[in-house]
Amino acid sequence: MQTDLENVTSASVRSRRLLRSAVIHTCSLLVAVLFLLPLVWTLSMSIRPVGQLLPRQLEWIPDPSTLSNYRDVFDVVEFARFAGNSLFVTVIAVPITLIVASMAGFAMAQISRQWRLRLTAVSFVALMIPLTAVWLPRFIMMKELGLIDSRWSLILPAFFGTSPFYVLLFLWTFTRVPGDIFEAARLDGAGVFRTWAGIALPLSGPTVMAVAVLSFVRYWSSFVEPLLYIQSVSKMTLPLGLQALLQLDRTNWPLLMAGAVMVTAPVIIVFLFAQRTFLDDRLGPGRLGR
Amino acid sequence: MLAPFLIGMLLLEFIPAIAHLPLAFTSYNALESPDFIGLDNFRELIHDRVFWIAAGNSLLFIVVAVPLRIGGAMLLSLLLLERRRGTAFYRAAIYLPTVVPDIAWALAWLWILNPLYGPLNLTLAWLGLPSPALTIGEWPPRFAIIVVLAFQLGEGFVVCLAALSDMPRDLRDQAAVDGSTGRQTFWRITLPLLAPTLIVLLLRDVIVSLQSNFVPALIIGRNGGPNYATTYLPYYIYREAFSYLRFGYAAAMTWMMFLLTGLVLLLLYRVARSWRMGFSDAD
Repeated sequence: MQTDLENVTSASVRSRRLLRSAVIHTCSLLVAVLFLLPLVWTLSMSIRPVGQLLPRQLEWIPDPSTLSNYRDVFDVVEFARFAGNSLFVTVIAVPITLIVASMAGFAMAQISRQWRLRLTAVSFVALMIPLTAVWLPRFIMMKELGLIDSRWSLILPAFFGTSPFYVLLFLWTFTRVPGDIFEAARLDGAGVFRTWAGIALPLSGPTVMAVAVLSFVRYWSSFVEPLLYIQSVSKMTLPLGLQALLQLDRTNWPLLMAGAVMVTAPVIIVFLFAQRTFLDDRLGPGRLGR
Repeated sequence: MLAPFLIGMLLLEFIPAIAHLPLAFTSYNALESPDFIGLDNFRELIHDRVFWIAAGNSLLFIVVAVPLRIGGAMLLSLLLLERRRGTAFYRAAIYLPTVVPDIAWALAWLWILNPLYGPLNLTLAWLGLPSPALTIGEWPPRFAIIVVLAFQLGEGFVVCLAALSDMPRDLRDQAAVDGSTGRQTFWRITLPLLAPTLIVLLLRDVIVSLQSNFVPALIIGRNGGPNYATTYLPYYIYREAFSYLRFGYAAAMTWMMFLLTGLVLLLLYRVARSWRMGFSDAD
């Protein structure tokens, strides 16, 4: 009698749990499809031959399909040059960002608690200033520095660590390293720079990774800054090139989507490569902030 | 070792932010040295119809888009908090639109929203639903830009996930044992514990909203149109400064934007504080 009752409850509990799990999986799948659809539709249009009538019905894989749009983008605008400029900016800006931000974070971890708190507060205030609120004076500054229409205007923020957020990420990582390690290195006669490069950096792999990816995405995708500072076509980066493509022909959808895919692909590849660092709640940047 | 960072913050963030003040009282045009014109810029601003439209648009955008983004991020993080099969895939799918470059994302949506051939309307037609022309008219593009940007909520999603997984599990388990329903557990335990994180996200998203709609307004709204319907403050400031070289006027507008944001943040902070107190009373 007793056992029967227990069996009944555990069976109903189990079926309820199963139902719950099924509902969660269905919802998750629907959401994932919703978030992936825009990218799928972009891909689908990018392999459609130019000049054919546009479909009046939903299609997933165009018939016939072609990859020639991807080549044609390079003929219509100077896409290869734009890609080279984007690469130039990111390849220089990302390592400099890593060096400057990690150095600043390391230094902030070493100074007195009082000053650390003050600097953290200042960094937070700086984080709250949106780009729109500083672009006029920054433009005037770039003009005075003679950096207008130079790719270095896009790289400049890297020399200051790019974002206070990256410095804070490094600070939070380094404060979790037991202090004796750095103390021991100092007693062994290692200078601050050697302690930073030889001990602190190797200990902060996930943070280096996270900041590298975040700053890569930032420099690669940046649209407003080149829009303000870059004037000649030969110095444009990919996002501006995409806008140029749109201005050439607003209705050539296959070509536009092929361009959009090519600008997006590197970012997605880097993200998928590093996604564990972001989305695993045991390691992600949210975690680093604790 | 700190010097580059500190100099950078001063030079690229704080000095530019403050430099608006003197600039707003001049007729600077980036070519000649500035002339002091007193309050003329502000006087003009008050009678500038487009400025008030843009301020209203920005305010409306904040009021609708920010709660949508933060609420969405919270719900999705609750859905995907527990690790099951496929969780990693679902989380990656949700974050993906956030890393897509703004211009590529806006361009993709310009196609998706195309009234005649766009996949969105074709899908709606296939489902037997009416097909709205979302890039035409005044209200549809406003609505479309909010939806387009609602997809890029990855940051809030990750922060909510981290905050939720930090919460002691026993607390919720205990509540369940004590007979609390899922809904009660959410309102009485999860939400109050998540509140500080949500407030920080809200404040940050209000600020981010001031620039996030710049690219969609340019691409989907076709330069802030039609009839200024998608002209938000950043776009109007950009146009005055960089198309018409009216830096002084644009600086005055930036000050008004600061003021507006400050008011919204203050209001939000007040509401958030009383909201949290309401929760502690209930305990």
